Amino acid sequence: MKLSGVKYLVDQGVENVWKNKMMAFATFCVLLISLLLVGASVIFYFNINSMIGGISDKNEIAVFINDKADKARITEIGQDLAKIKGVSEVTFESKEDAFNKMLVQMPEYEKIFESLGNDNPLVDGYRVKVSNIDEVPQIISEIRGLNDIYYVKASQEFVNVLKELRRVVTMVACAIIAALAVVSMIMISNTTKASIFTRREEIQIMKYVGATNSFIRTPFFVEGMVTGFFSGIGAFIITWAAYNSLFELLTKQVNVMNVIGLGNIIQFSSIRVYVLLSYIIAGSFIGALGSVIFTRKHINV
Amino acid sequence: MVELKNVSVTYSSGVDALNNVSLKINDGDFAFVVGSSGAGKSTMIKLLLKEINATSGVVTVNGYNLNKMKRRQIPEFRRTLGFVFQDFRLIPSMTVYENIAFVLRVIDAPKKYIRKRVPYVISLVGLQAKSNSYPDELSGGEKQRVAIARALVNDPKLIIADEPTGNIDPELSYEIVELLKGINDCGTTILMVTHEHDLVRHFGGRIINITDGEIVFDEVIGGINEA
Ligand SMILES: Nc1ncnc2c1ncn2[C@@H]1O[C@H](COP(=O)(O)OP(=O)(O)O)[C@@H](O)[C@H]1O
Ligand SMILES: [Mg+2]
Repeated sequence: MKLSGVKYLVDQGVENVWKNKMMAFATFCVLLISLLLVGASVIFYFNINSMIGGISDKNEIAVFINDKADKARITEIGQDLAKIKGVSEVTFESKEDAFNKMLVQMPEYEKIFESLGNDNPLVDGYRVKVSNIDEVPQIISEIRGLNDIYYVKASQEFVNVLKELRRVVTMVACAIIAALAVVSMIMISNTTKASIFTRREEIQIMKYVGATNSFIRTPFFVEGMVTGFFSGIGAFIITWAAYNSLFELLTKQVNVMNVIGLGNIIQFSSIRVYVLLSYIIAGSFIGALGSVIFTRKHINV
Repeated sequence: MVELKNVSVTYSSGVDALNNVSLKINDGDFAFVVGSSGAGKSTMIKLLLKEINATSGVVTVNGYNLNKMKRRQIPEFRRTLGFVFQDFRLIPSMTVYENIAFVLRVIDAPKKYIRKRVPYVISLVGLQAKSNSYPDELSGGEKQRVAIARALVNDPKLIIADEPTGNIDPELSYEIVELLKGINDCGTTILMVTHEHDLVRHFGGRIINITDGEIVFDEVIGGINEA
C-alpha cells in the first residue's frame, strides 16, 4: 500500500472520531477512568514496595519520648528499655540528631522544615535493637507500658501493615481492572458500532468497488487508537496533578512522614516518562484492539 | 463476459427468484434485461456482483467462476466491474469529485493518476461545473451521471446497471441510456435492467425478458432510432 493510501486511511480514522464525537467522548471517558484506576493502583503498589524496601532495620523499634520528660527521666527510660528481655542494644537519638538525619536523607525537603518556622517538630527517642524478630510484638507492649512514652514504632509491624495493604490493593485493583476491562470493551464495541452505522453507505459502496477488508477496517482501527491515545494523555495529566498535590499534602504532615519515611515516597519526576508511555501505549492498544475486534464483528467483511 | 448456466436462486424464505436460467453476454455487448416487478431481475444482478450465491448452476463473470471464488478474491473480482443502481448510492458527505476519487483510493491508485482520471470521467458525463457540489445539490439525472462516472473511473470491463433510470425524469432517461451506449461504443460490456418498455423500444438491441424467474425472450430487436 502506498504512503498516500495509508495517509488517506489515517485521515479517515481521525475524521471518524470527529463525526462520531459523542460516542468517541464516552469511550474516551471510560478508557480514561480505567487507565487512571489501574495507573493509580500500580503507582500505589510501587510506593508500598519502595517503603518496604526502605525499611532496612527490620529488627529495630523506634521509641519516642514525651516532650515533657526531662534529661534525668530520659536516661531512666533508657535504662528501663535495656532491662527488657530480648533487647540487645539501646541507642539514644536526640531530636536534633533525628532532624539532621532527615535533612541528610532528603535535602530537597529543607524548605518544608523551614516553613515550619525552624521549629524542630521531632522528639527525643531511643532506637531499640531486638535479637529475635518474633519477640517484637511482646517487647512493644512492654515498652508501651512504660511512662512518658509518646509513640512506639516497630519497623517489622509497619512492614506487616504495608504487606497487608499491598495485598488488599492488589486484590481490589484486579477486581476493578476486570470490571473496567468489560465496561471498556462494551463502550468500544458500541462506539465502533455507531461509527460503522454513520459510515454504512460508504462501507457498502467500498465493498462494491472492491475494497479489501483491511482497507475497510483501517479507519476504525485508527479511530480506536486515536481515542485511546488521548485517554492516555488525559490520564497522565490527571495522575500528574493528583500525585503532586497528594505528595505535597503528605510531605507537610511531619508525623505521617515520620512513620512512612519521607524518602520512601517515589517522586513523580522519576517516574513521569514511564507513566506517560505506559498510559499512551495501554490506551492506544486497548482502543485499537477493541475496534479491530468489533469491526470484525459488526461489519461482515 | 457474463455466463449463467442452469442457474437457480431460492431465497431462504423459500421464494424461487430464478429458475434454471442460462444466458451468455459477450464482451462488448449491450443488453437490456426487462421484466415486471418481482420477476427476478435484481436477483440476477446480485448474483453477478456476488452479493448472493446461486443455489445451483454456474455463474461466470469476467473470467471468474463465482461459485468457486474464495471470499478474499471478491475485492479483486469487483474491481473488474462497475455498477449503477436506481438509488444512486452516492456518499452524501462527499463532493462529486470525492465520490468518484473514492473508488480509485479504494484500489490504491497513484495520487497523480487520481488527479488526472477523475476530472476526465467527470467531463465525460458533462458535470465539470458540479465537481465540488454535494449529491444533495444535484438533480436525479445529475446524480445518476455521477454514478456512471464512478462506475467508469476504474475502467471496468463490465458495467451492471439496475434500473438506472428508475428515479429520474423520463425525458432524462434517454440521456442516461445514451451515455451508457457511448461507453459501450468504447468497448465496455453493459448490462442494463429496466422495466421502461419505451426506452427499450426506442434504443433496441439485445433484449432479455425475465418473467417469474425464467428467461422467456432473448432476441435482438431494431430500435426506433435505427429504423
Ligand atoms: N432478500 C430476499 N429475500 C427473500 N426474497 C427476496 C429477496 N429479494 C428478492 N426476493 C424475492 O425474489 C423475487 C425476485 O425479486 P427481485 O429479483 O428483486 O425482482 P425484480 O428486481 O425483478 O423486481 C421476488 O418475489 C422478491 O420478493
Ligand atoms: Mg429490482
